Amino acid sequence: MSGEILIQQPGNSVVTDLGRTRGPRFGLPVNGALDQYSARAANILAGNLDNHPLVEITALDFRMKSTTDILIAVTGAPLTLTVGGRPSSQWEPVSVRAGETVSIRGIHRGLRAYLAIHGSIEAETLLGSVAPDTVVGFGLQLKEGTRLLTRKSVGPVRQPYFDLPLFRLGLDRPRMDSDLLVDVTDGPDVAEFGASGELLFTSEYAVSGRSNHIGLRLGGELPERTSSGEVLSRGVPVGAVEVPSREELLVLHRGRGVTAGYPVLAVVTSTGLDVLAQARPGDKVRFRKTTVAEATAAHRRSRAHLETLRESVNTVFGLLGIGCRPQWQDLPVAACS
Amino acid sequence: MSVLAAAPTEIYESGDSALRVVAISEAGEHNWLTVHGLADWLENCGAEGLHGAVPTYDSVLVEFDPILVSARQVRAFVKLGLLELGRSAGSATAPQEFDVPVVYGGEFGPDLERVAQHQGISVDEVIRLHTEKTYTVRCLGAPAGSPMMDGPAFPKPVPRLKDPRLSVPAGAVAVAGRQAVIAPASAPGGWCVIGQTPLSVLNIRREPLVPYKPGDILRFRQIRAEDFGQYHGVELEPQAMASADVDLEKSGAQP
Repeated sequence: MSGEILIQQPGNSVVTDLGRTRGPRFGLPVNGALDQYSARAANILAGNLDNHPLVEITALDFRMKSTTDILIAVTGAPLTLTVGGRPSSQWEPVSVRAGETVSIRGIHRGLRAYLAIHGSIEAETLLGSVAPDTVVGFGLQLKEGTRLLTRKSVGPVRQPYFDLPLFRLGLDRPRMDSDLLVDVTDGPDVAEFGASGELLFTSEYAVSGRSNHIGLRLGGELPERTSSGEVLSRGVPVGAVEVPSREELLVLHRGRGVTAGYPVLAVVTSTGLDVLAQARPGDKVRFRKTTVAEATAAHRRSRAHLETLRESVNTVFGLLGIGCRPQWQDLPVAACS
Repeated sequence: MSVLAAAPTEIYESGDSALRVVAISEAGEHNWLTVHGLADWLENCGAEGLHGAVPTYDSVLVEFDPILVSARQVRAFVKLGLLELGRSAGSATAPQEFDVPVVYGGEFGPDLERVAQHQGISVDEVIRLHTEKTYTVRCLGAPAGSPMMDGPAFPKPVPRLKDPRLSVPAGAVAVAGRQAVIAPASAPGGWCVIGQTPLSVLNIRREPLVPYKPGDILRFRQIRAEDFGQYHGVELEPQAMASADVDLEKSGAQP
């Protein structure tokens, strides 16, 4: 049974997924959830596929109401979550009854939260992704009164199951500090910065308020390009660290234009990009040099962690009769209790 | 696109999810054919974990999922692809040709006079050089699949604006360095805008989103400012048997 979710207070929220991986070929950035770990975790906790559409909430308070019973999971930046006025936990599946209001308030450390709904939500796709692209004017930015269609309903999940420590899954919740440590590897143009490139690792940078999903601007001591001359436009990786002006360092994130003509000093690792996704204006950033092999190993460790989570969730959902498998709702109620 | 043999290349690490492959022969055309041929090959090779390739002039950014494939494996794919380029006959399709009406100067091209001054030539000469050239789309770039092209035969490279504009309208026709471009969507930009086409370049309800691809041919044609409205919103389409004027009638636009 499908239902409807009514957005009562949108704050700054969009429907997104893990991104438009086919986009760069056609000149469109990958976009998608900036904190990929938290987005994946939310979908896993809600019993969805990792790439299912979910809601990304940036900085501001958010409220919604469902016309049917649903199951949700909220991850990302720490916040105050209430369902029908009851305090509820982040990083856990949460049962919501029809008519109850889900309220997300007080994001103050970290910047972005993710709300996944079991069965996911309907949204239009472009090149296979629902992720908004602000440049081409695509995507679902939520507004007061927006109605989202949910694909599945989940009856209230009864105690005692959620009282059991089934969901104490030992999940690594990302640390959200105002002092961020971000891993980078040498960029393809590191040689163009000579010895000044080392400044990246000895200086502390402050996140500017002019940062967004396209890139973060960081103030601090800037490495300087020693070579000069016109650079032909080239494909730039997500995570590219550039020095386009004398004022700020630019770290490109998932909304970056796919081509540019600035030399790439360093590239933020996949796990480092998740850290930057949670950086607030004024936060301090330090960079640490790593290698591609180490970065890949760290990324794989973190994903293995999510795989363990998926297994635990599948086990518990199987026990409770909640699942992604088709026709699960046709199972006799007895199987769930 | 195919080449007899790939140009020599260098491969650079670009983080844990991408590699940059640069073609380093002396011949720009050969480099361009090599990186686009490689991008096409990678796109079609079916290797697991490859997201895609972004080819430009002399380089291609190869993006991959480091959970499914390692940078070392992707490097091997790239080398294989470069070898294969020399072997495959290729399936080069004939380039499409596009006619792009442009209003130069004034509110449509706020940097036209600045460019003329910097080049030390007249405004008319800038327009003549810009419309005289037949452009090959070298790659699709930012924003939104912009057609990146080698620029007109100006005496010297065009410097970028010191203060990039916060918003350049869709259809802006711009030059910078030795490059030329049309902006398919409104976006910030630091290139010098010398004109604007009234045609609609980007359509997100259609795939592909932009009608041209690397290798296609573009020509700019000057129109009068009062004719801008006549073309406004008409989609840029390849020239078939019919002329642009007939296309205009078909689309129902009123003069």
